[in-house]
Amino acid sequence: MSFSRQTTCLATPSSLAVLLAFLDEASREAGLVGEVAFAVRLAGEEACTNVINHAYHGQEPGPISLQLRCEPGQVHLVVEDRAPLFPPEDAPLPDLSSDWENRREGGLGWHLIRQVMDEVRHEPLAGGGNRLELVKRLAAN
Amino acid sequence: MEIQVEYREAATVVRIVGNVDGLTAETLLAELQARVGEGHVRLVGDLSEVEYTSSAGLRALLSVLRDARRGGGDLRLAAVHPPVLKILELSGFTTILKLYDDVDGAVASFAN
Repeated sequence: MSFSRQTTCLATPSSLAVLLAFLDEASREAGLVGEVAFAVRLAGEEACTNVINHAYHGQEPGPISLQLRCEPGQVHLVVEDRAPLFPPEDAPLPDLSSDWENRREGGLGWHLIRQVMDEVRHEPLAGGGNRLELVKRLAAN
Repeated sequence: MEIQVEYREAATVVRIVGNVDGLTAETLLAELQARVGEGHVRLVGDLSEVEYTSSAGLRALLSVLRDARRGGGDLRLAAVHPPVLKILELSGFTTILKLYDDVDGAVASFAN
């Protein structure tokens, strides 16, 4: 299995619909189903939302690039931006245990990405920016 | 996503049809908050037609849960599909939300 699709747009709230449609279509074309399709949609949405809402904070929005690539036994989701460096470990830890009145909401997106994907790799892009590569391994039949 | 509201004696049932994500969570939040604002604080979220939620949906549910409970009511979920249940569990939401197998059971829980 070899498959690759990519799209690039401006990281603004109005681009989320385009990015989610890309994810759905590319996932369908790649033949992803069930838990893998769910994980790719969720991790993709959370990663894109983080870039749109936070990455270019305080400056003009820049590009976001999203790639879905399938290799034998695994699916790769790559998200790139040209924003200031932000390693995932700098994200706030999620609050999973406070009661309903005191529950904090930050960090849930990153938490879900780590839970549904098998690997989270981050590296700086040459010339500035972030490259986030999320890997989902396919269960052997 | 579509939202259908049914007013029953013991609770107001909000049937959600479709994905709850960054594109639709604001609409869901506004709809549920409107019901709470009208005094319908006993809410049942019928999730039988929801196959996907992201953290955006969870934030909307938490916000409405708080509003409903502060008003003396609650938001309870019914007929949650396994993938959505998994997200609720991973996010620690099953410890603060009451879940029921079906809508009738969730509605009946308010009458008890």
